[in-house]
Amino acid sequence: MSEMWINMGPQHPMTHGLWNLRVKIDGELIVDADPEMGYLHRGIEKISEDRHYNEVVTLMDRCCYVAGMSWEHLYILASEQALSIAPPERAEYIRTMADEFQRLGSHLMWYAAFVQDLGLMSPFLYGMRDRDLILDLFQSFTGARMTYEYMRVGGVRNDLPPGFTDRARKVMDWLVDRFREYDALCLGSDIFRKRCDGLGVLSQAQCVELGVTGPMLRSAGSSRDLRKDRPYSAYDRLEFDVARADAGDVTARYLVRMEEMRQSVRIVRQILDWLDTHPGPVMAERVPRWLGAPYAPIGREDYLLKRRYPKGVGFSAIEEPHGEAQAYVVNEGGEHPYRVKFRSPVFANLSAAKHYLVGYHVADIPPIMGSVDICVGECDR
Amino acid sequence: MSAAAPKEKPSTNPILWVARPMATAARQFAKSLIRPSTIVYPFERLEDPKFREEVAVAAGKPLGVGAVWDNYRGVHALNIATCISCNLCAFSCPDVCIQMVAVPDAQTKRLKKCPEIDYGKCSYCGFCSDACPEGCLTMTTRYELSATKRADMIYSPEKLYEVFQRKLPMNPIRLERPKNEDAILLDAPLCIGCNACARDCPTQCITMLDIPKPTPKPGEKLPRRIWKEPVVNDSDCVRCGTCISVCPKECLFWGTHT
Repeated sequence: MSEMWINMGPQHPMTHGLWNLRVKIDGELIVDADPEMGYLHRGIEKISEDRHYNEVVTLMDRCCYVAGMSWEHLYILASEQALSIAPPERAEYIRTMADEFQRLGSHLMWYAAFVQDLGLMSPFLYGMRDRDLILDLFQSFTGARMTYEYMRVGGVRNDLPPGFTDRARKVMDWLVDRFREYDALCLGSDIFRKRCDGLGVLSQAQCVELGVTGPMLRSAGSSRDLRKDRPYSAYDRLEFDVARADAGDVTARYLVRMEEMRQSVRIVRQILDWLDTHPGPVMAERVPRWLGAPYAPIGREDYLLKRRYPKGVGFSAIEEPHGEAQAYVVNEGGEHPYRVKFRSPVFANLSAAKHYLVGYHVADIPPIMGSVDICVGECDR
Repeated sequence: MSAAAPKEKPSTNPILWVARPMATAARQFAKSLIRPSTIVYPFERLEDPKFREEVAVAAGKPLGVGAVWDNYRGVHALNIATCISCNLCAFSCPDVCIQMVAVPDAQTKRLKKCPEIDYGKCSYCGFCSDACPEGCLTMTTRYELSATKRADMIYSPEKLYEVFQRKLPMNPIRLERPKNEDAILLDAPLCIGCNACARDCPTQCITMLDIPKPTPKPGEKLPRRIWKEPVVNDSDCVRCGTCISVCPKECLFWGTHT
């Protein structure tokens, strides 16, 4: 039978965003795959060069629309290093908590989308419903459900509202019960297992070679997690385990993400206990005036000649829900970052599509691509 | 330091493959009959306080829906009467959607500049209300805004004042000013005493004080200037930078008192 290329995307239920998966098929068999990204490119790195350090945070929320807080955290860590500002400890804990909330929210969103790809509608609704609780928590302390604009260079915008920790604990208790239900719905069902077991296998060596990170790498037997290996914010003061599975297939990725959510709940509970007993400031004492809370740029740039902030570069790498994200910020002494560069984990995970698709069937594409956890917003930036 | 994820084995009984997921779904369905997870918008609204207590309810009960909290960042409300036209909101806007337009002040009957917001561009980041030193530009819980014309998305100060008069819950979070903030400093030899800074200062915290006119030495020519110098009252200053941008000699700058 002759081979042919087909386009799955840019408008396709499998793609979860605006990208195109070209697959070369021989009958039902995939013989080649070629992901095409870039449809959602907005030039965020370039726009960042024209904005104040804090204003870039508004872009970070739009960078990844399911894990905005993680990207804020990533950018802020790099900026703080570039500007030599250290946040107070309470702000670090709040950031870590927000990061873990975001991991829960992102993984729940992934769970909802993934099972919906497999044709299971009820788990989709449960996943979205439970994600809404996370968004509620976000809204109660940041003021928005998706575009938080919460972190600032030198700390976070505001402290937690009264009664927040109790509310968060209730949500955590609720979520832990739900994870059991998710497993009963998916792992307990042989139909689910028959569609997922042994699909999209990527070995650990391949992952390392291709730059695949995050839950995909950990599902292949590696225990690399930047929260453990290169601790940032408050992670070195918290107890948690790295979720790991060995099979490297779709089911293994499911297991890793489910276990990560349980670990996130564990981390959040520790942080909530810490926050209850350690009140304090959430903003660094001394930040340049154009970074401070009510700040104003000046009509003329001339004042920079008289007062410059020390130059520096900042690099940060965090374990984002999708994988390892990295940021590089160059501070040339002005109000704006001179250059901002991001490394998106989704881009690397998607680029390796050929290696985990070839050899499977066309009907396997939705579960495999669903297990990758795609967010095109950060992939294209 | 890693925990291998547990692997649940599917049952060997084919009936259970269907029965277990169905039992979970049926339980959820029964719960949703007692308390649905959704609301009937627009007949029920999230900003209704009754949803607030039920949000993220006690574990073990069916879940409620979300609530709109007071710190929600929705449409702005502007109190024209207390606005001091300091430009800080327009400066801090990342999307450049705020323009300062002249509107008549109700008390003084004079024109003054107040923010006009283009909601076609606004990203609801809240930087403007964070920057507002008088708390007159705040964000409310109002989230419904649709228009048939693009021009209707531009909210004039009067329209923002109407939002203010509706007495919606305002964002309660007021950011504290950082301590030891930068202040306006004067590069005295450059100053010509022109009064521009004191004239345009929105809080009138700059006063022009007389300085002694030096007696010229023989042959020396005194600079042509008014023998006055601005003195900034730091506690009243809102750090808007207006004085710096109007200074014709660029003699004002940001700095810390030594």
